[in-house]
Amino acid sequence: MDPSTLIQILGSAAVACPALLVLVLGGCALLDLRLSERVVSHLTRWAVVAGLLAAVGVLVVMVVQGHSREVVDWGNWIRIEHEALHYHFSVKFVFDRLSVPFVILAFVLCGTIAAFADAYLHREQGFSRFFMFYALFLLGMVISALAGTIETLFTGWELVGLSSALLVAFFQDRTAPVRNGQRVWTVYRIADAAFLMAAIALHHFTGQGDFDGLMGSGPWPAGTASLAHGQALFVGLLLLVAAAGKSALVPFSGWLPRAMEGPTPSSAIFYGALSVHLGAYLLLRVGPVLECSLLLSAAVVLVGAVTAIFASLAGRVQTDIKSALSFASLTQVGIIVVEIGLGLRYIALVHLLGHACLRTLQFLRAPSLLQDYRLMENAIGDRLSVRASFWSRWVPGNVQRWFYRLALERGYLDAFLNDVVARPFLRLFRFFDRLERKLTDAISGGPSRESDRLRPSALDELP
Amino acid sequence: MLVHEDRVSTGRRAPLDRLRHEIEHAAEFLPAQGPINVFIHHNTLHAFEHLPFHQAVRDGARLLGCQPYLTKQQYRQIMERGRFTMDDLRAVLAEHLGSAGDESIAGLSTRFDLRMAMLEHPLRLGTDEELRWVVAVSEGLHRFRSDVPAAVRDRTIQETRHWIMRDVLGSGQAAGGQDAAEGDPTAEVSHQRDRHIQAALSDMMAEFGAQSIESWSQTKWERFTLRALWRICRDGVHGVAGRTAPPPPPVRHRDLLLLATGEDTDQLVHPLLIRFCAAFLDQGIAPWPLPSREKGLFDAFIDLYSLPGGPPDAWLAGLRRELKRVRAEQLSPLESIRESLTLLGVEPEEESEFITATMLALRGWFGMIWQTEQRADRVARAVPQGSLVEALAVRLILERLALTFVARETLGYAGPLAGLRAALRQRLPKREPVSLDQRAFTVFELAQLLGWNLRDLNNLTKAQWTELVNEIESFDSLQRRQIHHEAFERRYRLQALDALHQMGPPPAKRSSRPRFQAVFCLDDREESIRRHVEEVAPDAETFGVAGFYNVPMYYRGAADAHFVPLCPVVIRPQHWTFEEVVLPLEHVARRRAKIRKLLGSLVHRWHLGSRTATGGAVIAATVGALASVPLVGRVLFPRLAARTRRMLSEFVQPPPITRLQLERVEASPGPISGHVGFTVDEMADMGERVLRDMGLLTNFARFVLTIGHGSRSLNNPHKSAYDCGACGGSMGGPNGRAIAQILNDPRVRQVLAGRGIVIPSDTVFVGGLHNTCDDSITFYDLDRIPRSHSEEFKEIVELFREVRARNAHERCRRFQSAPLNITPEAALRHVEERAEDLSQTRPELGHATNALCHVGRRSRTRGLFMDRRAFLTSYDPELDDENHTILARILAAVFPVCAGINLEYLFSYVDNARFGCGSKLPHNVASLLGVMDGHASDLRTGLPWQMVEIHEPLRLLIVVETTPEAMLQIMQQNEVINRLCRNGWVQLATQSPDSDEIHVFNGERFEPYEPQGTPLPEVATSAQWYRGWRDHLGFARIKSPAEASS
Repeated sequence: MDPSTLIQILGSAAVACPALLVLVLGGCALLDLRLSERVVSHLTRWAVVAGLLAAVGVLVVMVVQGHSREVVDWGNWIRIEHEALHYHFSVKFVFDRLSVPFVILAFVLCGTIAAFADAYLHREQGFSRFFMFYALFLLGMVISALAGTIETLFTGWELVGLSSALLVAFFQDRTAPVRNGQRVWTVYRIADAAFLMAAIALHHFTGQGDFDGLMGSGPWPAGTASLAHGQALFVGLLLLVAAAGKSALVPFSGWLPRAMEGPTPSSAIFYGALSVHLGAYLLLRVGPVLECSLLLSAAVVLVGAVTAIFASLAGRVQTDIKSALSFASLTQVGIIVVEIGLGLRYIALVHLLGHACLRTLQFLRAPSLLQDYRLMENAIGDRLSVRASFWSRWVPGNVQRWFYRLALERGYLDAFLNDVVARPFLRLFRFFDRLERKLTDAISGGPSRESDRLRPSALDELP
Repeated sequence: MLVHEDRVSTGRRAPLDRLRHEIEHAAEFLPAQGPINVFIHHNTLHAFEHLPFHQAVRDGARLLGCQPYLTKQQYRQIMERGRFTMDDLRAVLAEHLGSAGDESIAGLSTRFDLRMAMLEHPLRLGTDEELRWVVAVSEGLHRFRSDVPAAVRDRTIQETRHWIMRDVLGSGQAAGGQDAAEGDPTAEVSHQRDRHIQAALSDMMAEFGAQSIESWSQTKWERFTLRALWRICRDGVHGVAGRTAPPPPPVRHRDLLLLATGEDTDQLVHPLLIRFCAAFLDQGIAPWPLPSREKGLFDAFIDLYSLPGGPPDAWLAGLRRELKRVRAEQLSPLESIRESLTLLGVEPEEESEFITATMLALRGWFGMIWQTEQRADRVARAVPQGSLVEALAVRLILERLALTFVARETLGYAGPLAGLRAALRQRLPKREPVSLDQRAFTVFELAQLLGWNLRDLNNLTKAQWTELVNEIESFDSLQRRQIHHEAFERRYRLQALDALHQMGPPPAKRSSRPRFQAVFCLDDREESIRRHVEEVAPDAETFGVAGFYNVPMYYRGAADAHFVPLCPVVIRPQHWTFEEVVLPLEHVARRRAKIRKLLGSLVHRWHLGSRTATGGAVIAATVGALASVPLVGRVLFPRLAARTRRMLSEFVQPPPITRLQLERVEASPGPISGHVGFTVDEMADMGERVLRDMGLLTNFARFVLTIGHGSRSLNNPHKSAYDCGACGGSMGGPNGRAIAQILNDPRVRQVLAGRGIVIPSDTVFVGGLHNTCDDSITFYDLDRIPRSHSEEFKEIVELFREVRARNAHERCRRFQSAPLNITPEAALRHVEERAEDLSQTRPELGHATNALCHVGRRSRTRGLFMDRRAFLTSYDPELDDENHTILARILAAVFPVCAGINLEYLFSYVDNARFGCGSKLPHNVASLLGVMDGHASDLRTGLPWQMVEIHEPLRLLIVVETTPEAMLQIMQQNEVINRLCRNGWVQLATQSPDSDEIHVFNGERFEPYEPQGTPLPEVATSAQWYRGWRDHLGFARIKSPAEASS
């Protein structure tokens, strides 16, 4: 078979497998067909293995052929040709040195975690629901990794965000998970808004959303952005906001520990391994844009560095294992972002891949912490001691305390977002709400909202 | 601190002391669970044990905001599975009501029938709007409830038809009016009502088409009947005064504020408080400990939060000022609490209630502070005395700030906090506990079910309506559920006692020498393995004792860092022992210890380093990708990964030949060399006691195996809860090993011979460990088995392979992930894999399903299939003295331990989200002390759902082989046992030592048990009885090979 056809087939399969999984699991859920645990786990396994084989297949063909960039084009889905107006929306997947390792990583980690979750969620009421969200996440991850246009990337990005928020709120009968799920969702929406604006700006500046149009069709990491300095800065900053929201960089870090409300495997996959790296991946993908503007690169380095410092500080005082791990994750993501800002893209990629594997293992083993501590103590023959650091010896007590409090309170980032961003926003809209209520009450000559009086359904059997 | 004392001593000491007492009293209601790595099962409602069970669960549930029983729906599901029947409900209800059951309620039904209908059928309840929707729109007024028997329904319709045709349509006379006597003041009212009803019925008939009434179809009559019934019910209950008082308003400001505004101040206070408490208690997760921790919680908090530039949260704006003021005024924690209470306007008489409610709001963390404060010996980093008081002081300061803030933001309330509750109470929406429609709807449903005649209902006077409504409402949800609960217990009790009865009087004592004797822990999980030992080796005997083998000790293994107590938690050991590698291998051991130490520090560095910025970056960027190998390996191939790991670790583990250091040289016991161990006399005492307890004084076999138990699994913070409770939540192997070594000691045997226990010289004791998770059995000190015995012992080991496989097979029927047709060998592999699987949340099922406890000779239960639900303790009444000394000391341990396990499982099942710790899936190890849900929840205590999932919440039925008189005497002597029995926390029965008679304790006295006479099925092997079935199984008798062949 012609190698390029083979690439087209394999490349399409890599995306189609998770898409089919979503269709089957989602379709069954829609039709209220209850699949047994066994069927769900088999379907998931086949989809992941097939997707992985296809991705590896693409890699093999590319290596054999010596190509470092292949494009699988699913054509233009929308095309508007007008004299002064041109818009096209094409679905295009790129296989290059950046996306192939990342997509293989996504398949391997997702596959392992699916196998883990299969036993971990055994007999759990939401078993099918979990795998539905999981499939959505996998699809989002694969699309984002392979996206060749900014619209395609946005699609994957949204799927990842949606499934993540739903998984955080997986235990929907308790308030805390739902509350925190909504918080994650809110932050993601801010990131999405920035992303969308960046996409529009990009269209405005270059007339299309294709990355090759933007950065030339040279294989990653080569390529130069065809943007003016100011344009690059504008688009780049928006993308930085998007990446910061998705990767929990400062000032959006507050959602990361909150995302631990879901079952352990979902925490592992999203916050240890994949989801949290997606922002960094975006920055890697648009690397050439960063190169256009020194100011932009400096901003990226700054955000990364502040995040790394903050997270390593916060990580040192966390007293529960999942938060400690999530801040450890964040520290590395911060460093990866710094590397990207400095233009060390290969190092960043290797760092990202290694970190994802390492952290996933640690997350999955998190419940073993007590046994691990005991093992270590037995081996060492004593209580585990922490050496007095430079910090505790030389820095005055109150300064230490000040930083300790800053770290314990997670940098006050949540409080800052709550009081500086959310509250004024809420106040404004509540003001409008009151206004509207007054108006409608006046018109109807009495209380105008029936929903005020109704309580949630309580129709049930007497206990 | 000195200054505090001075200030306090001047005249204010008394109230502050009382305050401290109040706080300590309230602390009794906090969860009593200690650090999770030593999990001790205990009665979740221990603080209520002085009350009768049903009173206690109600009080406890109300105070803790939990469910006291399962819901009626859950009971019905259990009934649908045949676990108890309508007969049980009837029997229990009849017993409860006595003669009052025959009284007629408003002339409609007997009380018994009315209550039975309420028990039997699901009654619906909803808001008024929903009920109106049910009756108006849905099928409610079209069809009778589907569970009304056709005969009842048809009769009701028929009678209605007759009544309408005769009294309403026929005469035009007021329906039923003729019954009312003239001049009766109520008669006038009743006349008015009748006219009202009359009019309504006429309207209704018109609507249905009165002219064609003679040709109305059956369905039309059904609709008409229901409409009329609903109308009569609504009219009837109108104006009836309800007796159920609305619940008193809550005492905490936060609860009132939540009710009034929907804003929850705990959402503000808790995250901060949880972070801080966790940091204060942390046993080593955070590399950077809380500054000023040694100064105590209160001072550390003030130190930290009175610094400038603090949290920007709007509600915390006044925190710094407040803390600086507290410090400037040098308030002690207690004084600060007193001040907060005054500022909050808490009256002295409600102080206790307020403090209790406030502490219970974050019960997990507060309980853990209290536990670590009380038992400093159980944690690595102790906390100072008084920490709980300090935590409460901090909490109240934060609470004041949050209340002020939220009250201002949502209500614009700017007055003093002391008046906040009064202001909030006025804003509370006033609601009748039961509305008119709801009341009418219940009567409407019951009338259908019991086939009440419309005419009779219509004729009821207001007094009768009141009687009816009160009768219905007095049989409230809790009472109904209590009856269900008792019926559920009754079924199992009858089955168990019947089975024991049919096992007959005690068989003659065995005279031949058994092939071997195996002693296990009394644990319910060992019931099956004992049964399988006896099935595989009919010529063997088994015994059950508390798994610490009466050797209370601090123990340190050859590769362990610390001594751990191996005995029930109520005992503090006085002796220390350790395991050491035999002398010839000592240099190997030392070298390996060095390697272990090196590896250990490396792992520790890695563990911390991978979380830091630089270390993490280096590790991730260089070897990070290699982590995928163990990741994939351990998740996808757990057994292979485990085997590889074990093979590798063999190179660094201590050499396998070790000795237990049991004998003491120096006079005083202590943890250092020379002082370790026991004297020969102490050993002889311990040996004598354990032999007398289990009644093994004569007829010793050539082998006596003393087997402890424990459970090894991965990724399981609750691991300790699966270990041996009698060994303080640790593995009980060393105890089995120690008792074997003691009883093999010739000097001990000599002392014992002097006391009348002659152990033959060819009897060898061998200690062992049964891992209840992967069903492996390890024997200790095999190198010490004499040559004359070694061949025989190999056969026994071989035999145990078969026993293990059978036991694993029986356990696998409960695991949905193991196919029902699994072979014993595959079952063994399955349980081994479970133990090694990182993703396995149910490595084993623990004590789930426990329901029975038998104290007596094994010959009374040998061959009885008890489905791994029974604690089995050996006790021979014939060897006891007339004061029942042995029984008394056995029961003194059995009652609290077994009841503790049983009640913890019971409550964790009944309300898993609150009494238990919910699902394991989101658990997160916090401070190395417990688990949270997610990143900032209260510390979750109790058992996870995955542990109790298949449990049946029944109170433990303890059957003791003794006379009722003896049992009463022991109850009199032992207050703990007495309280548990008389207050009904356990069910108690005695089995006569010389006949098949059984007596049941009814709370006051023993009464003879009358067997129900259900035959006990007989099978050849256990497998024949349990195979192919996942649910609970009834009792069965396994025929001995002799019976089977005859």
